[in-house]
Amino acid sequence: MKSEEDLNRAMEAYADMVRRICFLHLKNKYDTEDVFQNVYLKYLLYDKPFESGEHEKAWFVRVAINACTDHLRYASRRKWVPLDLIEEEREVLDDTSSEVLEAVLSLPEKYRNVIYLHYYEDYPAVEIARILGKKENTVYSWLSRARELLRERLGGEWV
Amino acid sequence: MNVIRDSMKDIRASEELKRNTLEYLKEQRRRGLKRLRRLTLAAASICLLIFAGGYMVYARPVSYISIDVNPSVELGVNCFGRVVEADAYNRDGRDILDQVLLKNVPYLKAIGRLLGDESVSGYLTRDSRVFITVISDSWETMLKEIGRDELSEKYGAQTYKSDLASREEAHRYEMSFGKYRACLELSQYDGTVTVEECHRMSMGEIEDRIKTCKGHGNEGEGGGHQRRNQRRSNCQNSESDESFGSAESGGDTGNDGSSGSAGDTGNDKSSKEPGNDEYDDDAGSYGSHEGHHGHGH
Repeated sequence: MKSEEDLNRAMEAYADMVRRICFLHLKNKYDTEDVFQNVYLKYLLYDKPFESGEHEKAWFVRVAINACTDHLRYASRRKWVPLDLIEEEREVLDDTSSEVLEAVLSLPEKYRNVIYLHYYEDYPAVEIARILGKKENTVYSWLSRARELLRERLGGEWV
Repeated sequence: MNVIRDSMKDIRASEELKRNTLEYLKEQRRRGLKRLRRLTLAAASICLLIFAGGYMVYARPVSYISIDVNPSVELGVNCFGRVVEADAYNRDGRDILDQVLLKNVPYLKAIGRLLGDESVSGYLTRDSRVFITVISDSWETMLKEIGRDELSEKYGAQTYKSDLASREEAHRYEMSFGKYRACLELSQYDGTVTVEECHRMSMGEIEDRIKTCKGHGNEGEGGGHQRRNQRRSNCQNSESDESFGSAESGGDTGNDGSSGSAGDTGNDKSSKEPGNDEYDDDAGSYGSHEGHHGHGH
């Protein structure tokens, strides 16, 4: 079991990233809180040591994506319809950001992950392939396909 | 810079989310520790129970072996055939137990160690005898195994069986049940012998005296009743009638058991069942006795 210190450090270091990954997959803040807590609970109970900070970060990415997927699978059996997350975040986002995010969220799940990891976390395709357990070429083609889709939606300002 | 990064930079984990999560984890940690502690405790008590149960089974003797040369030693044997108790019934026996490790070894090995030990070999002269007496539900098997054992064969051990009642009786006189059995056999032929006398005699002396008595014949075939009465007055002079009663039955068993001796196959033990306490039937008694006498030399 991880120490209190480790936990606080990991909270400072990865909270925003985990929160963003949740944002990419989940629809409201209740789900987000559930998954967020789950990710950190897994961290608390994870007994093996991390080789490096990078390794630890990649572990968080992997676990957060999995936790979201699991949660969605579970949530898909629910009867009630969750609130739209983007509405909740509207007050902190300006118009451009909302537009971009809506476009990103409209992408299929696998494209959302690679776009986030590549453009926000600055992971090269090789790393993404390793974290997601996919072939490097798959990641490349997902990336280019995702870029294409975004360009269609957002027009020329997308580089 | 890219638009994705810009668009997401404001999406952050709120302080509230972090705080809630840390609190949640603290709660989980507490609960986990509590559960862990409870689990450990349960596992520990189960282990202890199994261990204690196993030990109790292991440490409980189910059979007893009395080995009498001059040193008198009783071994308690558990259900796995291992020696778990070793008690001496005279000083020679105590000396030997101090020197020889007998506990937790298979009983045949223990007998081997006992008879093979230098301090015992000293007693194993031409005149001495090795008597091995067994109390067990599976005494036949044990006697067979002991008889097959190299050492007891080498020392010409004579084997008998006895029972728990005789053992208790023997311990009342601070004797090993093996020696007590021999005493009872002697008292059958020589009514004048007392328990105290027996105490002082070595096994070789007891056997010699039995042989002598028998060699003289039984002083009139019809004297059985009389002799028994005599023995009653001599051997048990300081004892209550009650203890005599059990002594009597012990004697029968001893006599009966003589037929279980290793080399004694010719003598049919079924001819005398335990509970046949009629040793005033001289002919039967005599025959049985002779049977055991004939072997082991």
